[in-house]
This record gives sequence, structure tokens and C-alpha cells, in this order.
Amino acid sequence: MDSMDSSVASPDLGLALGFPFWVASRRRFKPDDPFFASGNLERELLAKHVALDLTEDERFQLQRMEIADANLFCPIAGCGARLEYLEEFEDHYNTRHMASCSVCFRVYPTSRLLSIHISEVHDSFFQAKVARGFPMYECLVEGCGAKLKSYKSRQRHLIDKHRFPSNFEFYKKAHPSKHQRQKLQRKAYKGGDAKDQESFMDLDAKKESKQTRPKHYRPKQEVKTGTERESEMEVETKLHHPQTTETKVVTNSEAKNEKAKAETEMEVEERIEDIVSGISKLSTVDASSPSSVSFGHRHSRGFAFVPRSVRNQNQISKREQTRKP
Amino acid sequence: MASEDTAPSHSHHRDSIKSSVGNTAANRRRQQAISIGKERREALIRAKRLCRDSIFDDGDNEKGLDEGEMVIDEEQSVLNARTAQTVQELKSSLSYQGKDATQKTIEALCALRKLLSKSEVPPIEAAIQGGAVPLLVQCLSFGSADEQLLEAAWCVTNIAAGGPEETKSLLSALPLLIAHLGERSSGHVAEQCAWALGNVSGEDMELRSILFAQGALLPLTRLMLSNRESTARTAAWALSNLIKGPDPKAANELIRIEAITDTIVKHLKTADEELVTEVAWVVVYLSALSDKAISILVRSDVVPVLVNRLVGSESLQLLIPVLRSLGNLVAADAYITHSVLIVGNDITDQVLYGLIKCLKSEHRVLKKEALWVLSNIAAGTLEHKTLIFSSEAVPLLIDLLSAAPFEIRKEAAYTLGNICVGPTKGSDNKSDIIVTHLVPLVKGGCLPGFVNLVRSADLESARVGLIFLELVMRGYPNGEGPKLVEMEDGIDAMERFQFHENQEMRNVANALVDKYFGADYGV
Repeated sequence: MDSMDSSVASPDLGLALGFPFWVASRRRFKPDDPFFASGNLERELLAKHVALDLTEDERFQLQRMEIADANLFCPIAGCGARLEYLEEFEDHYNTRHMASCSVCFRVYPTSRLLSIHISEVHDSFFQAKVARGFPMYECLVEGCGAKLKSYKSRQRHLIDKHRFPSNFEFYKKAHPSKHQRQKLQRKAYKGGDAKDQESFMDLDAKKESKQTRPKHYRPKQEVKTGTERESEMEVETKLHHPQTTETKVVTNSEAKNEKAKAETEMEVEERIEDIVSGISKLSTVDASSPSSVSFGHRHSRGFAFVPRSVRNQNQISKREQTRKP
Repeated sequence: MASEDTAPSHSHHRDSIKSSVGNTAANRRRQQAISIGKERREALIRAKRLCRDSIFDDGDNEKGLDEGEMVIDEEQSVLNARTAQTVQELKSSLSYQGKDATQKTIEALCALRKLLSKSEVPPIEAAIQGGAVPLLVQCLSFGSADEQLLEAAWCVTNIAAGGPEETKSLLSALPLLIAHLGERSSGHVAEQCAWALGNVSGEDMELRSILFAQGALLPLTRLMLSNRESTARTAAWALSNLIKGPDPKAANELIRIEAITDTIVKHLKTADEELVTEVAWVVVYLSALSDKAISILVRSDVVPVLVNRLVGSESLQLLIPVLRSLGNLVAADAYITHSVLIVGNDITDQVLYGLIKCLKSEHRVLKKEALWVLSNIAAGTLEHKTLIFSSEAVPLLIDLLSAAPFEIRKEAAYTLGNICVGPTKGSDNKSDIIVTHLVPLVKGGCLPGFVNLVRSADLESARVGLIFLELVMRGYPNGEGPKLVEMEDGIDAMERFQFHENQEMRNVANALVDKYFGADYGV
């Protein structure tokens, strides 16, 4: 493939190997390239002296057969699930990789990553262990097993041992906002019912529109502890004050006060909704394996605690793991 | 299943039993959910053609089975038994010394031929097991009666329509088949041998190599010049199988034959669409494998004639190789876009018209490959990009980008992107962005389609999507690019790559998100 191969050095994009900017160039294929497979198949079918009729179904099956040989696999790291057709990737992704946190609505592509997130961000027990010096931060690469003592050292481990890019962050800064994530999550589960989103979002409708609410990559000034300072991680770890934390999370990167205020108001309202809805469906919201754990009404503190059984929940048992040849 | 009782016309005698896809019988069965047996499936995909009917115009002489009947419900084991028996009869007739020897031999051959052509699943294996091949080779010896040669070649043809093992068992027959292509042979015999060789070539590269080494190329090419259309057609088809590679040596040799280009042009102009189709496939392989051929073809009349057929024909079977030939030529050699398809020339408008016609067709293959050609033309000069941009292709492109199956969306993406990116580069070594094309295309609604591509499991598609988003974010005026991308959930799509297994994809996506949606965004 000609057009995309030449990378141009691009210091402004911070890529050592250069960025593959679009180049308009001709693409040529060899005669046995899979690109031509369907045309070749068509040729043979049309020319065949078949004694039996070939029904539309049979033709369709033949076409599918040829595409099935294409060896499609899910590209999410660690999944490797065999896909029969590319069109089914979206479904596969939505069922297997849309593990989302019921607390902050962040979405992760595997339930393992989700439970790591929950431990590290919403679990005070975890933070307690960290404070006492236990290595609690798991390596993100499945099968590695390494545990590190801090977010930053885990970061370093990923970069050194597993060749992650140096700007990789497990905690991508809050964009889209929590609202937007929530919205997106509903879209995914309900197939994009706009009405649903709107009614829930009524609280904020007047205050903001989706476009103008980014909060990105601001290091948290309010964070006091050393570990947090070094990381870009949000202060949801300060869990003994969940309320304050939540508010801080959302407002931390706002520069302007008015906005901050509006945020706070909004967040508080949202929080009430959250507590009500969150508690009643407290579990890792993983579409492929709905949790059987549920919590009744609780002290808001319990809201942040996820029981070990859920946290240590293993990967989706049904997931087919086909390694690439 | 009874055969259709069409009176065999001389150019469609092969069709008298064939049920073409889409006829009423097929329609009747369409409601049933049927799964195709593996063996049948493979037989359908193989580049081989079973010879079910005589190549004689006037229908075959009859001994025994009624010509029109298909042996369908006969159990395979019974069929095999009959085959074995027939082979024995052939054997004994060959060792027979009496005066009717030839006649007996022909009768036995005929019976064998019928078993191999009238049954749903020809008893090829049984014939080979029974020792048919050495006998057939014997029947093909020089000086044999024409009818004997014909029947023997017919048997070999259908044995060669089988699987790899079965085809390879015919090695000893090959030199004889090639020999009988000669100009002294009876026309029917030569044609039948060409057919057999076509089947053998269709098997794999090894057999193609063997046939090439044994000198099959030249006689087949000569046969393609035959006045009999069926012969020319069969020879062209066999030739296309012979040169299809992947080894380019046969293709390279073919283009060196004097007057081959003229022959090709002449045949491409004929009224017989089937002949045009087969010859077009020859051009496909020439243009795919031989640089020398490309160089010659682009400067010849082949291109204008191909364009004519692209515009004028409605036959899917014909359009596929015509389109692909043009595609190969455009892809391989800038000469076409720069010197033949000059903007302003008639031929250029014609090509665009023909490609758009394919985009509008309902056939996946035509849409996909036409988009490929279009994308390569769009990679040409600024005038080409503007020509495509101002044509009715654009709304079609955006539509295909959004709604078609993924492989078509990818090609539409390449085309649209190429329209927006100039042939020249700026001082930063990045290609110039043609803002006057980019803005209307984005306004025309192409962004959702690109964002969707970013979500694809196919690495290349995702890459194409990402790279286009970069164009928008960098080149859209007034810095509005990032916002537009965000509105289409572009950030979410890019963030998915955080966990992609491919390092480059992670880097590229992260770099874009960092740059365009970083700390300064929205402030």
C-alpha cells in the first residue's frame, strides 16, 4: 500500500518515527491479492457450467466463505477473538469491550482493565495498602503479573518492559466529560435513543452543550500527596471524602470560577442522581456478563467500595480466545 | 434435473444444459435455505470448466444415453462401478486387433465421456483408479482418427476439472494435448485440447510452469486467432489461465509475441461479448504481471477500446475484467493519467462516466474496483482531482463511505482523501491540502463515515480514517477542524486506540488526541 507508508518526521506531533500524513498516491495490487478475490469468484461463478442451479443463498455463502478465510481478529490488545466478518466487529466490541464503570462511566475494553481502574480509583482499601507500601499497581499487560508500588513506576514498567509509548496514560484525561461518557454509555446499551439521554441530561441542558465542555490534561493542583502529584491521575483516589473528590474531579481543570461553580452545582445534582442510580446498580457494568452483585441503599461511602469478589472478577468466561497464528 | 431444451445455437451450444444463474429454475429454488457441500463449493470456485456438451454445432451422435438427460439420481457407487466397467471396455478395445478396433475404441471412449459429463458429480476418481489415464494417452497418439482424438480429449478435459491429485495424474497426456493444438489438427480437436489445457492450467502454478516449459503458449496464442469464435474464446480462456501467475514469465513471454497487441485490440472490438470477456482477462493478467506489457499496452489502442467497452456494456461478466484491466494499467503507470486520460479529452470524460456507472451498479465487485480506479485517478494531477470533485461522483462517494460494506467504504475513503490532497508538498514536507475541496466535502457530510472507519477492526481502514481526521484538524480553516471532529464522536473513536494491540496505531491516535484535544482545547 503506497499511500500511507512514508512517515514524515513530525516533532510537533511528538512522534519519534514520524506521522504518516496523507499522501495521494496510486495503489497497486498483485493479481492474487485478496482485494481481487470477490471479482475472481464472480468470474468463476458466472462462467460455470453448473448442472444445478446456484441459488442466491449459495452464492452469498460462497462469498462469505471467501471472506472468512481472511483471518480477522479483534485488534484490542489481549483479546484476539476471531471475527467472521468485519461488520461484526462493532457488535463484538460493544458486547465484549464496553466494560464501563458504574461510578464514573469510564469505558474500558476489557473487564480486567475495568477492575484495575475501579481498584485504583474508587477503592479506599487499595489506597490504604498503597500508603503502607504494598505494590498494588498491576501491570496492564495481561499475563505479566508485575505489581508496582506507584502509578508512575507502573508507567515506567509499561514503557520499559512492554514498549508502551512514553506519552501513554492509563488515566486519559477527562474528555469527554463524565456526562458525555454516561451519555455514550447509554447510547451503546440502548442503541442511541436520544430521548433517554435528553431527559436525564435535562439538569444540564441549559448550562452547557456537549461541545464546550472539555477538561483535558490538567495536572491536579489541589492534590497534595506526592504520588498523586507525579501522576496525571485524578483525585478519585482520595476516597475517604468521596463527595469532595467527585466534585473536585469534575471541576479541577476549570480555570474560571463561574464555570467551576456551575460545575459544582451541576455535579452535585448529578451526584444525587448518581447515588440513587449508582447504588441500585452497583457493579461493573459489563454488558457481556451482567454482575449478579447488587447493593441496596447504603451509606454513600459504600458507594465507592467495590467488594473484592467483583474487583477480582475474572475475565469474561465466554470470551473466545483465538490467538493469531 | 432435465436439461433445458434450447436448440443449441452455434455460439451457445455449451449452454444447452447449463442453467445460468438467475433463470426461472433458480428463482424457484431461491426460497430454500441450502448449504453447499464442501466439495461442490470447491468445484465452483476452481478456475475450471467442465465440458458437458459437444463442441460440434449439430448436437452429438447418439449411442446409448439420451443426450439431454442428466444422470442425477444415480447413486455414486453405481456410477463408479459403471465407470470402472467402461474403462475395462476401453482397455479391451485398445488391445483388440480386429478391423473394428477403432470403432470399438470410439464407442468405449464415448461411453466414458458421457459418464464424465452427464453426472452431477463426475466419477473422476473412479476413472483414474480404473486406469483410464494411460489408456487415454494411448488414444491421443498421433494419427488417430479425429473422432477418437476428440472423445479422448473430452475425457481428459473433464478429468482435469477435478481436484489437484486428479489433475496431476494427467501429466503424461500434456505434451500430446499441446501437440494437437497445431494448425494441422482438426478444428474441433484443437479446441477440445485447448479446453483440457485450460483446465490443467487452472489448477496451480506448478502445472502452469510445466505447460509453459513444454511450449503451450505459442500454439494457444495462434489458436486465439481462429475464425471460429468458440475456438478463439476457448483458447483465450485457456491462455488467461496459463499466464495468470503469480510467476510473470508466461505473461512476459506473451507480450513479446508479435502482433499480440493487435490481436487483442481486434478481439476487444468484436460483438461477441463472451470473446471480449476472455480476452479482457488476458489483458488483466498481462497488466498485472508484466511491466513490459503495461508499457506497451498504455501506448496502444487497448486503452481507448477498454474505455469504450466500459461505457457501452452492461454485462457484469464483461465489465469485471475490463474494469480491472484499466485499474491495473492506471495503478501501474503514471503515463495513463498524465498522457492518455488528460483532463479535457473525450476519453477522460468517458472513463469518468463509465466509473460512475459502476458506482451506481448493484454489484459489489464493480463498486469496489471502480472506486479503486477512481482513487488512483484522484491521485493524479490537480485537474483530475477537480474533475472528479465537480462530477456527480462526490455525493455517491459520500454515500458509499457511509453506508456500504466496509471494503467499499475503504475505497471511497481513499478516493475522497486523494481529492483533498494535492500532488505537491509544502515546505514542511507535508502534502498540500486542497481546502476548496476539503471544506465542501466535510460540509457534505463525509466526516461520520471517516470516524466510523476509525472504529473498524481492519487496521488499514482505521489508519485511513485517522489520517483523514488529521487532514481535517490541520487543514480546515479557522481552526474549526478539531471541533468538527469532536462533534462526530471522533475523540471517542481515537481513544479506542489506547488499547489497540498495534503500537503504531496507538502512537498515531494518541499523538492526534494529545495535539488537538490537549490542555489548550476549548479554553
